[in-house]
Amino acid sequence: MADGLNSKERVIKLLNGDVVDRVPCFSGMGNITVEGLNKSGVSFVEAHKSPEGMARAAASSFELFGYESAVAPFDLGVEAEALGCRINFYEHSEGIIYPTVKTKILHTGDELSMPEDFLERGRIPLVAKALEILKRDMGEKVAIGSYILGPFTLAGQLMDLNELLKDSFKRQGDIRRLLDSLKAPLIALGNHLIESGADFITVREMGASADIISPRMFKNLIMPPLKEVISEIHGLRILHICGDTNPIVGMMQECGAEAISVEQKNDVAATRAALGDEAVILGNIDAFNLLVKGTPEEVREAVKKAIKAGVDGVMPGCDIWPEAKAENMRALVEATAEYGSGRIGEEK
Amino acid sequence: MNKEELLKGLREGVIEYDEDKVKKLAEEWLKAGYDANEGIFEGLAAGMEVVGDLFAKNEYFVPEVLMCADALYAGLDILRPHVKVDKGKKKLKGEVVIGTVEGDVHDIGKNIVKLMFEVAGFTVHDLGKDVPLDKFVEEQMRTDSDLVCLSAMMTTTMVGMKKVIEKIRAKNPKVKILIGGAPVTKEVAEMYGADGYGRDASNALTEAIKMISSLREMRREDKI
Ligand code: B12
Repeated sequence: MADGLNSKERVIKLLNGDVVDRVPCFSGMGNITVEGLNKSGVSFVEAHKSPEGMARAAASSFELFGYESAVAPFDLGVEAEALGCRINFYEHSEGIIYPTVKTKILHTGDELSMPEDFLERGRIPLVAKALEILKRDMGEKVAIGSYILGPFTLAGQLMDLNELLKDSFKRQGDIRRLLDSLKAPLIALGNHLIESGADFITVREMGASADIISPRMFKNLIMPPLKEVISEIHGLRILHICGDTNPIVGMMQECGAEAISVEQKNDVAATRAALGDEAVILGNIDAFNLLVKGTPEEVREAVKKAIKAGVDGVMPGCDIWPEAKAENMRALVEATAEYGSGRIGEEK
Repeated sequence: MNKEELLKGLREGVIEYDEDKVKKLAEEWLKAGYDANEGIFEGLAAGMEVVGDLFAKNEYFVPEVLMCADALYAGLDILRPHVKVDKGKKKLKGEVVIGTVEGDVHDIGKNIVKLMFEVAGFTVHDLGKDVPLDKFVEEQMRTDSDLVCLSAMMTTTMVGMKKVIEKIRAKNPKVKILIGGAPVTKEVAEMYGADGYGRDASNALTEAIKMISSLREMRREDKI
């Protein structure tokens, strides 16, 4: 029994496959709330564009609610920007609008050649700096996370998505080569983020959501480069995919990350049955319908249900939606501590 | 090939996303002197309905649907110019402006809804994604469309719909407005003053047809 772990130890031990004192409540994806932004005096734009702002925002859910990770960045445009896409930050808009990719740079038939100074481009130095700050200020207390996109999701940022989806059938060889050419920058970025202070990296292949892509295409086209990217990242890794992932959890596990993360559409009990006790499964709390729209009581019920079904870490199914209510965030963390004690595995 | 075989071939061409087959059969259909409209609705559109079912049953996924759509468009390009416009009869189907609102890049669902409108014979003006709110108002005025369809996949971008609705209503109170996307519910639609909301693509279509016929009804009464 491993008693009295702090958040950092708990998350890292879990990802290493060691015994932990209880189920942790953390995430590998965005974890800011409007509450956290207000309390730390950071605007949504600063959270993307200033290293201090990014670090303070990333720390806020740990500081306010005891959430057990601090994750930066918050948008999905870091790679695309460093590779030459223009990003819209909606600087003049009121309210919370996430950055989007404005200009696309690739077409079917193209291959990307990684710029020599890739790691110095766009906001990569900024994200690295934010991770350094987090490491320095709270690296002993809380697990520091960062993320990269999977090759297919990155391709969807760099080229027209309709073109990518159709040519994944019609010109599969071309798309395979294009995806292969995205491996090098993703691997370089993943390792760089770890060197900058991230304790773990989440690979987000949300563009290959199981609601959008068939298991067969996942296997033939998406999984091979994804698996290679994961295997070349030297550190603790989580693979996250959205949607109804049950038909592909076996392949997700085969990709070789320390843990897989799934959302609310996944039937976790079935996933546990399919993958066995060894697999580390994270999930599957609805980040919008529960954390934003639900009540603390409903959140507690969902946490209990997820743990009973067999998650090893309680995690929202996607980025925490910033409008999540403070009382729901507290309920999420508290219910995890309450229902998740006892050796992992006993509750199953 | 007889008429039935041709129609069956058109349907299959769409379902099997075989653009070449659809093109060839559409040409043959015209050469044989059959009615273009019948080819569109009993052939191409009927095939697309099957595709919709396969999608709902998780047998087809988004890439498959997009390819079927390409096959459908290939056939429409050939048949549409030959559709006889019956001047005496009022056009049943209307014109639609559609787009994903500003700040939101999620357009997979919107594209599927758009496709269903095209299959059903609507003229669709697609503004794309991340569309500035005023653009919807301008495009509606420019095209004098009967219906505006707004899609949003995020709660924060969804609020933009409310503004669009207000602006359109201010200029042109009779336009019908239909909204959809994952966070949109019936309550949201009512609160924002939309005329309706659609859960999925086929539901959107049913709603749209209802709205347009009531609109036509209103216009007729006005005129007389
Ligand atoms: C694919 C995807 C992406 C892709 C989008 C690619 C593209 N070009 O569309 C990428 C990777 C780029 C992406 C980015 C982001 N995403 Co995203 N994404 C998804 C995902 C996994 C699937 C959406 C989808 O396409 N579904 C399939 C289609 C067929 O379904 P649909 O869109 O619901 O459409 C149907 C109906 O809603 C309806 N419908 C749709 N529109 C309309 C319109 C009308 C008029 C009518 C009548 C009906 C109708 O009919 C459609 C057909 O049946 C969802 C999760 C999910 N499972 O929904 C998250 C999700 C939408 N994303 C989310 C988030 C948070 C983001 C990001 C902000 C992440 C980030 N940190 O940056 C960014 C957005 C940036 C921005 N400013 O836009 C959240 C939104 C949370 C919220 N409630 O607000 C979701 C819900 C994930 C989650 N669980 O938290 N995403």
